[in-house]
Amino acid sequence: MTTSTNYYWLVASLPHMPRSFDVEQAPILRIRLEQRLKMLGAQDKSIVEQVQGFLLWDRQRPERTDEEVKREYDWLMNSITNKLVRDIINHRMDVRTITCALRRRRLGLGPPSAVGQYVGRIRKHWHHPDFRLAREHPWIPRVRETLDANQPLEVERQLLSATWDRWVKLADKFYFSFETILLYLARWEIVDRWTRLDESAGRQRFDDLLSQTLALDGDVG
Amino acid sequence: MESVIVLLGWAGIFLPTALGAIGSIIGCGRAGQAATGALLDVESGYGRLVGVSALPSSQSIYGIVVTMQFNRAVAVDSAPGLFSLGLLVGLALLFSAIMQGSCCASAINTTKSKPEVFGLAIAPAAIVEGFAVFAFIFAIIVGGGIPGGTAG
Repeated sequence: MTTSTNYYWLVASLPHMPRSFDVEQAPILRIRLEQRLKMLGAQDKSIVEQVQGFLLWDRQRPERTDEEVKREYDWLMNSITNKLVRDIINHRMDVRTITCALRRRRLGLGPPSAVGQYVGRIRKHWHHPDFRLAREHPWIPRVRETLDANQPLEVERQLLSATWDRWVKLADKFYFSFETILLYLARWEIVDRWTRLDESAGRQRFDDLLSQTLALDGDVG
Repeated sequence: MESVIVLLGWAGIFLPTALGAIGSIIGCGRAGQAATGALLDVESGYGRLVGVSALPSSQSIYGIVVTMQFNRAVAVDSAPGLFSLGLLVGLALLFSAIMQGSCCASAINTTKSKPEVFGLAIAPAAIVEGFAVFAFIFAIIVGGGIPGGTAG
């Protein structure tokens, strides 16, 4: 690990991101990407680890309670000062919160006890089709319709697409800087997630989650 | 006071070389780092990438030529002109070399996956070079009018 990052070297050593995340394989293998990231300076490395930690935390275990999630989210937001990292985390949380709210309402449940800036607004506008958030998040009406049409893969594509477009737009503002690398990683994570999407594996994962949840309910009962 | 003015005159003679060299160091450094990074991601055309990274070195050469043109016995009446001209052309060379380095780095980054746009990709670097040439030529012309010069 070096003390400061050579952004010109690092950015130029990474293959270009495709225009769309809907590709057959990621532009760079995880192992190769990790090798390149070893050239990050100490401070940048710690910020990247925070982002990667969040992305792992983002795929949380089902037994985690809402209180635990809130506590971890608050800890994360208090420990991160980089504006772009906060933006990445907040956007991911907002997408999750809104999607969760759409799913719960569709199932006839109440507003989620989630975290993020929109929890209050969702509660307040629970009966509005888009929670009055369509201006900030134009993807909500399309995702709501696709959810109603019961097309989970298409929902995932639209959610990833909304996030992808946001990072692409932001990436246009940066060239050879730490932000370029952060946005590269954020987009790589989307491509990686999409290319690893497998319908049969998804069904297996759903079955696993369902049996874990039922087992947990059984323990409580 | 007189000695300070003469000192500034001597500084003005060397400033184009010094500032031009600083700009070239930064510009070539940036472009060179991008070129070595890009070497990891391409299968051919290595020489072209490294060659582009040397473009910002021309500002050092312009600076040396201006310094040679300005070089003369510094007197109180010539020192202010030498200093102001030397500083301004030096700054122009400094910034053009730095920005040309960034242009070259972008060109290298673009060319690695689309080699067919190499010519277009280095056009911005060539345009920046043009402004450095303007500053260089007019420094030579105006410098000739400073007392002690060939035209003075």
